[in-house]
Amino acid sequence: MTTALTSSLAKTTARTATRRRRRPEAFTVVSVIGVTCFMLICLVPFWMIVSGSFTDEQTLATSGYSLIPRPFSTTSYELIFTGPTVLSAYTASIFITVVGTAMALAFTSGLSWVIARRLPYVSRPLAVFAYIPMLFTGGLVPLYLLVTQYLKLQNSYFAVILPLLVAPFLVFIQVSAFRQLPEEILDSARVDGAGEMQIFFRIGLPLSKPILAVIGLFYAVHYWNEWFTALLFMSDVHKYPLPLLLQNLISNVSFSQMLPTAAEQSTPVYQLRLALTVVTIGPILLAYPFAQRYFVKGITLGATKG
Amino acid sequence: MTDLPAGRRRAMLRTSLWLSLLALPAVAFFLVFSYAPMAGLVVAFKEFDISRGIFGSPWNGLDNFRYFFSSGDAQRILVNTLLLNVLFLAATLAAGVTLAIMLNELRGRYFKRVAQSTIFFPYFVSPVVIAIMLQVLLSGPAGSGGAVNDALSGFGLPTVSWYTEPGPWPWILTVVKVWQMGGYMSVIFLAAITSIPEDVYEAGQIDGASRAQMALRITLPLLKPTAAVLLVLGVGRIFYGDFGTIYAIIGDNGTLFPTTDVIDTYVFRSLRQIGDFGTTAAIGLFQSVVGFVLVATALLIQRRYSKETSLL
Repeated sequence: MTTALTSSLAKTTARTATRRRRRPEAFTVVSVIGVTCFMLICLVPFWMIVSGSFTDEQTLATSGYSLIPRPFSTTSYELIFTGPTVLSAYTASIFITVVGTAMALAFTSGLSWVIARRLPYVSRPLAVFAYIPMLFTGGLVPLYLLVTQYLKLQNSYFAVILPLLVAPFLVFIQVSAFRQLPEEILDSARVDGAGEMQIFFRIGLPLSKPILAVIGLFYAVHYWNEWFTALLFMSDVHKYPLPLLLQNLISNVSFSQMLPTAAEQSTPVYQLRLALTVVTIGPILLAYPFAQRYFVKGITLGATKG
Repeated sequence: MTDLPAGRRRAMLRTSLWLSLLALPAVAFFLVFSYAPMAGLVVAFKEFDISRGIFGSPWNGLDNFRYFFSSGDAQRILVNTLLLNVLFLAATLAAGVTLAIMLNELRGRYFKRVAQSTIFFPYFVSPVVIAIMLQVLLSGPAGSGGAVNDALSGFGLPTVSWYTEPGPWPWILTVVKVWQMGGYMSVIFLAAITSIPEDVYEAGQIDGASRAQMALRITLPLLKPTAAVLLVLGVGRIFYGDFGTIYAIIGDNGTLFPTTDVIDTYVFRSLRQIGDFGTTAAIGLFQSVVGFVLVATALLIQRRYSKETSLL
């Protein structure tokens, strides 16, 4: 990723240089340098982790982290993919992300559509109803009691999925996107005899694919990274999602009991920790180049339209 | 739908109700996970007994609040929460504006897009991963060392045992926050910059302004409304700590609490470790009420300031 980046960077700076050779303004040069520095600051920590995850534990302990893995070692990855714990954490994270995003998207779209249609007696109260939780929350204790005492969802993936299902902020982004659909299209469907439900499913949703992508991506990243609710409600190690497993690795160095394969040998804890980090951000890193433009669109929409 | 003019209103109402079914799942969600917990806040006024449930436990008036405010922790965590949030807000806004103005200077379209995507990426990184990165930078495998210390000793400076030194942590957390949110903020500001009409800059060019002058005298003043909105909203949320990031990084490292313990982390710890539901709920209620007053005030101010970007 970095090599592709630097080569493209070199190419574009070369191109801009030829175009603006007449007036190389100092401020532009400073800006290019400034942005490049910040980009490096954003990327270097990732690279250090990737490099460290391929570095032998012994080397890590004696000479610290470095930018180039020497001697090259894949022990940690072998451990990760042979032990059952990480695989089950991956399964948990994928389940939470896929089911959570699907449910969240369905719930959010339904509510947003009803608010966006400006129905008399319905839309405004619903908007207020969805807005209040943004201003006032019950806090941690009632939620904890609700999930553990009343719903009894401890150690269920749904304890992670349900409390975050509908984000009011995303509801309002989606409402403003739905309102941008031209009314004529809906009217013409009505003339053709389509019912209101049909209009939502056959016209409203298909025409809103870009915003559905934005909202879905926000939910998906959120669920993939979620560890706080998991920390609260999950106690069974075999049901931990990835971020919680990773968090446990930070606070709990004697992690070896979670990895049965390495019971007798000393586990390369630090190398393992880095490898698990790579495994955790891997999917986001891979999906990011494709998804990135949607995110930018989403927060721009949220910032200007509210 | 019926075509009878007399039944038109009723038909419309029926359509409304039928369509409202779409909102039903989300309404149920809000009732259970947002509104029911609000009712559950009565725990704050009770001597909570798990076997008797929320509503069966005996009342104890304001004892829970009294206990919290007399514990000596209250002042520390309130000060930390406010101080850290002010630092975060100022730093991320400044970084966002600076980055947006710099990004706006970039001419190569491809480089601009790559730059924007790259600096935006940390926003999607889990706090847990950030915590691991910090460990790589601040402490090596042996509990000392780390990349920063290697650099310090390279320059002949004394190394620091970061994880036992509470002093620098507000600044470290601020740097983390800028790393995490700088790109996000810059995208918002960049959107505001693109909506500035081109002729303002043309006028500047005719008057012989350099690009730096245009950035400082035209772009920066025109970004004020956006900055004001973000500032007001940020102030409104000043009472809520960023639990995820701070807890992932600090965890239960007690030596760092004097400068890093905020309301949310304190609440979480007293719930998990002590299991004191009453006092914890009391702190939560206090936070929610003060937070609500701040958010509501902020929104009112913001509504008055700029009608068209109002969030309500």
